[in-house]
Amino acid sequence: MGIISEFFNSYFLWHDPMIVGAVSGAVCGFLGVYVVLRRIIFVSAALTQISSFGVALSFYLEGFSMGAISSFIHPFFLSTVLTSLAAVFFAMKRDFSRISQEGVIGFGFLIASGAVIILGDRITKGAHDIANILFGSAVVVDPGDVYIIPAVALMAIVIHIIFFKDFIFVSFDEETARLFKYPVRTLNTAILITIAVVVAVATRALGALPVFSFLALPPLTSLFLTERLKLVFVLSVIIGTLSATLGYFFSFVLSIPTGASMAVCASVFFVLGLLWREAKVRI
Amino acid sequence: MTNLIELEDVTIGYENKGMLGPLNLAIEKGQFWGILGPNGSGKSTMLKTVLGFLPAVSGFVKTSDGIVFGYVPQSEKFDPIFPVSVGETVSMGRYVRVRSGKKLSASDMDHITRSLEKTGVLHLKDRTFRSLSGGEKQRALLARAISGEPDVLVLDEPTASVDVKGETQIMELVRGIKSDDGLTVLMVSHFLHTVTRYADRIILIDKDSGYFESGGKSEVLTDHNLSTFFGLGAGSGII
Repeated sequence: MGIISEFFNSYFLWHDPMIVGAVSGAVCGFLGVYVVLRRIIFVSAALTQISSFGVALSFYLEGFSMGAISSFIHPFFLSTVLTSLAAVFFAMKRDFSRISQEGVIGFGFLIASGAVIILGDRITKGAHDIANILFGSAVVVDPGDVYIIPAVALMAIVIHIIFFKDFIFVSFDEETARLFKYPVRTLNTAILITIAVVVAVATRALGALPVFSFLALPPLTSLFLTERLKLVFVLSVIIGTLSATLGYFFSFVLSIPTGASMAVCASVFFVLGLLWREAKVRI
Repeated sequence: MTNLIELEDVTIGYENKGMLGPLNLAIEKGQFWGILGPNGSGKSTMLKTVLGFLPAVSGFVKTSDGIVFGYVPQSEKFDPIFPVSVGETVSMGRYVRVRSGKKLSASDMDHITRSLEKTGVLHLKDRTFRSLSGGEKQRALLARAISGEPDVLVLDEPTASVDVKGETQIMELVRGIKSDDGLTVLMVSHFLHTVTRYADRIILIDKDSGYFESGGKSEVLTDHNLSTFFGLGAGSGII
């Protein structure tokens, strides 16, 4: 009880990171439904790594005097631009010298992962900061994140509410959408861009590991729990939010790394969902 | 008579590599065309070119202004990971009348319900599409295709995953809808008996031998062609 009361007495410490974590969990849970249904989980892994690379590159460039362009090397800006460019590139769905799209995405994931570690060796902030980018810290967040992340999440959700019918249509049956003269490429790009921007801001605040886990595990868990598409989105938002908040809570009271704690919480929900599904099938 | 679709010296193929051509064809309103050919003969490539999924390597595919297609793809092409209901799947056919960013109106919903009724799947509207049998899926996809009030109904192997009874039910349904709504039908099938029973015009296609013939059943399904492409002896009585 002592630890729990200490947690609640420390409200002023976890208020901001809890908001950032909960909103990130919710919006990643929502967008992750597209990631899972379109079978592009590897795309989200690549985007989180590219976002990490943007943050690491920004830290690296901070070590130089960049003069007038210094505002362009802000982690938020650089991460968002690089991740969005990668999203546009992945949305092009072209064959590259007969290498599959999956292979190109794998290349993006690996080069970004390698570059983050190399930059980590060179930046003045040190390896500890790179570990935070990759695996998540979220113990404290920048005060601005409390406003930036909900604003970005709101923007993404509004776009997805307006174009919900269209995004589902192009995800489920792209061929017929093309026959009906829907702007298929624009819609596919819009889905990936919204994911990319959310990934960019959330990765900077929480780290790549929890963001990737929020994009993949809550939607997968929701698909175990319901056969209704709209309910999949609702449950995924709830599970994403719970994974983030409970992950933060356990991190606080057990003194364990926050990003890893969030990812493990999302994994526990996944296992519970799987068990529930198996039990339902057998009954 | 009005030509809804015209192919003028069209060569079909992939990535600018011609597979078969030049093809010339005129599809008039109210006709029922069956596209026949052995496996790998280019039937699907031709259909994709007509529908605009694939660009013609050369020549022109012309469609009349404002033409609306109702498309019944092969049900296997849908990823079963999607928990979409039959009602949601059929609604997508109506999207041809609803622009991107707009929602379905009450009138659109009426059309969707009527389509579900017409094809006998209204009672399945809350079931997931993936949980349906092969025949139920085809009827749901037919409902989807007609919910957009199309001019041309395009069917890609509509009876490939159903038994004989299911095949008859689906094809009779297609015939009834064509008759009631005055539709033009374009159907790809590798089942000779299905095409000869329901289509009044035939396209016989075989890219390997460079063969393309279109016209009435007796013109296209000659004893020579039946023997060459289907291994049937003269006087098989298929027509």
